[in-house]
Amino acid sequence: MIEDIIVFLKKYKSNKLGLVGLGILIFFVIAAIFAPYIAPYDPGHRYKSTEHPNSAHLLGTNHVGQDIVSELIYGTRVSLFITLFASIAAAFIGTFIGLIAGYFKRLDFFLMRIVDLFLTIPRLPLIIIIAAFMRPSIWNLIFVFALFEWSITARIIRSEVLTFKNRPYVDATRMFGAGDFHILGRHILPNVVPLVVVQLVLVSRYIILAESGLSFIGLGDPTAKSWGMMLHDAFEYPTIFISDIWMWWMLPAGLCIVFTILSLTFIGYALEELVNPRLRRVTTL
Amino acid sequence: MHMSAITKVVSYIIIIFIILSLNFFLPRMMPAGPLSGLTSSDKPVLEQYTNYMTNLMHGDLGWSTSKNAPVWDVLMRSLKWTLLLVGTSTVIYVIVGILSGAVSAWKKGKKTDVGLLVLLISMASFPPFFLGMLFIIFLGWKLDLFPRFGAQTLFIDYSTPFGVVLDILHHLTLPAATLTLTSIGVIYLLTRNSMLNVLGEDYILTARAKGLSEWYIMRRHALKNAMLPIITLVALIVGLVITGTIFVETVFAYPGVGMLVSDAISAHDYPLLQGAFLFIALAILAVNFIADMIYVHLDPRVKQE
Repeated sequence: MIEDIIVFLKKYKSNKLGLVGLGILIFFVIAAIFAPYIAPYDPGHRYKSTEHPNSAHLLGTNHVGQDIVSELIYGTRVSLFITLFASIAAAFIGTFIGLIAGYFKRLDFFLMRIVDLFLTIPRLPLIIIIAAFMRPSIWNLIFVFALFEWSITARIIRSEVLTFKNRPYVDATRMFGAGDFHILGRHILPNVVPLVVVQLVLVSRYIILAESGLSFIGLGDPTAKSWGMMLHDAFEYPTIFISDIWMWWMLPAGLCIVFTILSLTFIGYALEELVNPRLRRVTTL
Repeated sequence: MHMSAITKVVSYIIIIFIILSLNFFLPRMMPAGPLSGLTSSDKPVLEQYTNYMTNLMHGDLGWSTSKNAPVWDVLMRSLKWTLLLVGTSTVIYVIVGILSGAVSAWKKGKKTDVGLLVLLISMASFPPFFLGMLFIIFLGWKLDLFPRFGAQTLFIDYSTPFGVVLDILHHLTLPAATLTLTSIGVIYLLTRNSMLNVLGEDYILTARAKGLSEWYIMRRHALKNAMLPIITLVALIVGLVITGTIFVETVFAYPGVGMLVSDAISAHDYPLLQGAFLFIALAILAVNFIADMIYVHLDPRVKQE
């Protein structure tokens, strides 16, 4: 297992865009983890409002006097936290449903109709309206994203399981008396893990984009501000576009979102190329 | 109709039913729901539900508290702007997306290809509302090229109808550009991949050997065969664009259905929010349905299943 990972990393290293993406992501992850040590101030503490950048506040302060640098660093935490938890939960549900549907023929039809349903339903509008009816909180956002973003993963994993379940080695294991769940867990799951990882990256790319949008239209958690929430505050500020405030308030928050999404895009492409060599011919970036 | 078409129709009917029901039950499931004052909770739920469905059939979506008008009327007033915005953006991105994808595939590895790839993939990383804000700052304020908000200039008398059209188009440019740019990456990449696959086929080599012009081969042999996967994707992206209007219209204060969503959220106007949600959800479903039907028609392999 560890050897597999080392081989994988060696291959990954040869993909330049993948490395750039990983570098950017690691930068943000470090900022998120060590936020209390890096941030110069408590993001909730109020100083003089809408100060321009100065030596005390490198990016000035916002409309209620919070230090923008600290807000950005803690915002990284909130944005990545929501994205990570929601996409892991979605990947978990999707993988589970995909494995069951692919392996147990009797459940397949029923489960895939549910998957189809979730694929056809307009997900983002539904997420928005559910979030609007719930109290705005980080956990509620994680819940709605996990609830609606597992279906594509389930479908992909299912079709992959179908190609594995009748291979000779699986038949052999079955002949030795292995149970269904043993086969699923020990012999099929490890084979679909790479695909799950690719899906995880693609789904988190989507979730961070969607989360920023939800926060922007006012559905974010006001007690734990994400980057999207900062943009919401900035946009609501009356003179955001005509004074220079946008340069240190709106722009950095927006660019953080852009760079995170870009890094996830790069990582996604690099992984896809490794996992699915058929793609290499066509999606060479 | 074919078997697969019938299955599709049935599944769409089920989904519409689910969405209508969700719209009814959501506010009632929330603890101390925001609608506690608005729903007539003294009646049994089943009666409320049948009332709700009959009202829907009559176009009665309730009363918008923030606009102080029937939700249906508010939506109807906004609908034309959203249709204009979505329609324009869709036409532009289909044409530009497919052409740029085809050009990119044709010039694979050359400067044009790499340039397009980098540009369109970075654009896809911008949240639509953020790109919109940048447009407002740079093209709206700094260069003063375009109007910064709204769908038309109010309180101005144009002497000719041509002036009105020009004014509306002028207001439409930035929102449409934002929507198009942020969603075009998907169709561009798919066209590029699809074309690269087709270009590797033997019949393209044959066409070249026959001495046909490059443009002719691209148009008649390559693009035509690369189209099938693109059609299903177009529906998907029209869905994305419709959803995107929620954010883009908010930024540009463009008076469409999407802006009603964020207006309703900030005003806690739940009947309006639900009405706008229904409109958007049903519009996306309709587009997907049409695409599914076209696909069944176009691809002989789907028919046989």
